[in-house]
Amino acid sequence: MTTSLTMNLPVFVVIAPLFVAIMLPTFARRMRLVEGLVIFVEALGLVGAGYLAYTVLSQRGAPLIYQMGGWQAPWGIELMVGNLGAFFLLVISGVSLPVALFARGNLTEEVGGKERITRFYVLYLLLVGALSGMALTNDLFNVFVLVEVATLSCCGMVSTRKHPRAAEAAFTYLILATLGSALVLGGIGFIYMITGHLNMGFASQEINRIWQTNPHVVWLAFSFMLVGFGVKSALFPLHVWLPDAHSTAPSPASAILSGLAIKGYLICLLKVLYNIFGHTLMQEFAVHRILVLAGTIAIIAGSISAFAQDDLKRRLAYSTVAQVGYIVLGFGLVNTKGLTGALFYMASHAVIKSTLFLAAGAIIAVTGRKKVSELAGIGRKMPITMGAFTLASLSLIGIPLLSGFVGKWNLLLGSMESGNIIPTAVIIIGSVLCAAYLLPVIRVAWFEPAPDEDWKDPGISQKLALIILAAVVVILGVIPGPLLELAGRAAADLLVLR
Amino acid sequence: MKILIDKLIINYPYFISVVLFMIGALTVLTRSNLFKKLLGINIMESAIFLLFVAGGNIRGGASPIIGKATTESVYINPLPSALMLTGIVVSVSVTAFALALIVRLYKSYNTTDARRIATMRDEVTER
Repeated sequence: MTTSLTMNLPVFVVIAPLFVAIMLPTFARRMRLVEGLVIFVEALGLVGAGYLAYTVLSQRGAPLIYQMGGWQAPWGIELMVGNLGAFFLLVISGVSLPVALFARGNLTEEVGGKERITRFYVLYLLLVGALSGMALTNDLFNVFVLVEVATLSCCGMVSTRKHPRAAEAAFTYLILATLGSALVLGGIGFIYMITGHLNMGFASQEINRIWQTNPHVVWLAFSFMLVGFGVKSALFPLHVWLPDAHSTAPSPASAILSGLAIKGYLICLLKVLYNIFGHTLMQEFAVHRILVLAGTIAIIAGSISAFAQDDLKRRLAYSTVAQVGYIVLGFGLVNTKGLTGALFYMASHAVIKSTLFLAAGAIIAVTGRKKVSELAGIGRKMPITMGAFTLASLSLIGIPLLSGFVGKWNLLLGSMESGNIIPTAVIIIGSVLCAAYLLPVIRVAWFEPAPDEDWKDPGISQKLALIILAAVVVILGVIPGPLLELAGRAAADLLVLR
Repeated sequence: MKILIDKLIINYPYFISVVLFMIGALTVLTRSNLFKKLLGINIMESAIFLLFVAGGNIRGGASPIIGKATTESVYINPLPSALMLTGIVVSVSVTAFALALIVRLYKSYNTTDARRIATMRDEVTER
């Protein structure tokens, strides 16, 4: 019994949220049941992901492979729980559970009645299921389908807000994201045409054998994939949809979009670059330089744009653009330390950005004020919310003993190892710029006199969600051990010579 | 040069697919009418579908049903066509969702022009 459960766990982790998502509308009138089910399935996902991560960590080497319907690899679809998959699965479930907890009883104002809230939860679970699938799948076409499911549910979540600007942001997002997925599909088409395989392992073997005879097709596939996933994960010049979409969405949606959805596309990009083309081919085609360049530009430009915003949620959204830069820069370093740093940074940014967006959402819900300059003295009125916000900001800046520092430190070591001075400098400058746009919020909130208003911390489950997330930020900073180990092994797996 | 033109003529489905893709991308990026943007997306996706289907086709090949091929002919590759069925389903759902959003935008702004919506952005309040 237990062995069959373990063997089938990878597919359960992906299917369970999708299944519950389809079931939810039947319970639309009983809000408590809906919320309970969502939190239950998220908790189940966390247990499953934790167990899978434990299994992967304890049995070194061979990844857990699940074959859909029992079909063998080149014909059937594979789910592979390697170090990378287990790592990202843990991040997904670890962040989506507190966000679901925060959403509980908090959506009426931004989304509307019971029916609309239920629809929001349906989209939420679809997104979580699709992201889990992206973490585990080992099949290229499956990647495309899951990317589309995630895109549609993201756009849907943005448009659940009643305000017409939300519909506008969702439309822009939908058009650009579909452009991106058309490019991704084109890239998959080129890879399939020259290799004849959709399974990543087999495609990788073929492509390393024949790339010299078809260098142009490999170029095309590289560029289609890079631009396609670049649009979806808001890599700097392609980020235009992000600030509107992430700042107009309801707060839990902003948290999950900025924290997780973008990382899902980045994981897919990572898999395509390292698991299919491989790092030797990347260096042959100088793709790693493009990644480093794009990353550095994104860090600087995103941080400066964030600095110019007065709207709190827009400032956080632009900050996401900058942080995507760090992750992509790490992808381009092509060494173990850099990739470990990028992966760990991905995890810590997921937690940090969710905390920031949720805290911002709580503040806006209570005070109705959206501008940074209007938040004077909010820290004294809402100590728990603002405390979580402060911890997360400090972590994002990279203060030691908080989670952001561990990722940045590994990125720094990686960039020094690669011998290129520019990324090293940009990582440090990025930290300073990050302090420049986040510290003013903290200063205004704690050190300016509070207005005479009756503001207080949000309800119990919101407080609980913020405390959990802030605790994770600290725990990951003080004892990064197991997660860093998993990220390190995932990085080593990606760099295996093939 | 002649070899290049010959290659283009032999591989004309790929050439058409590239042209369609460009037309679609240009429409999406330059037109401000929301419907035209959506049409552009659809043209782009059709181009990709054509690319896949052309990649799976073998000239003179039989349809992939057992017994259709004779000794001298071969079966075409059915996998890309099957994949594109999924692709078409995805494209239809994107189109449906986008149309619903356009209806909602039209109700609040009374126009389907992206530029005019951008100028009216601050005047519209929550419905």
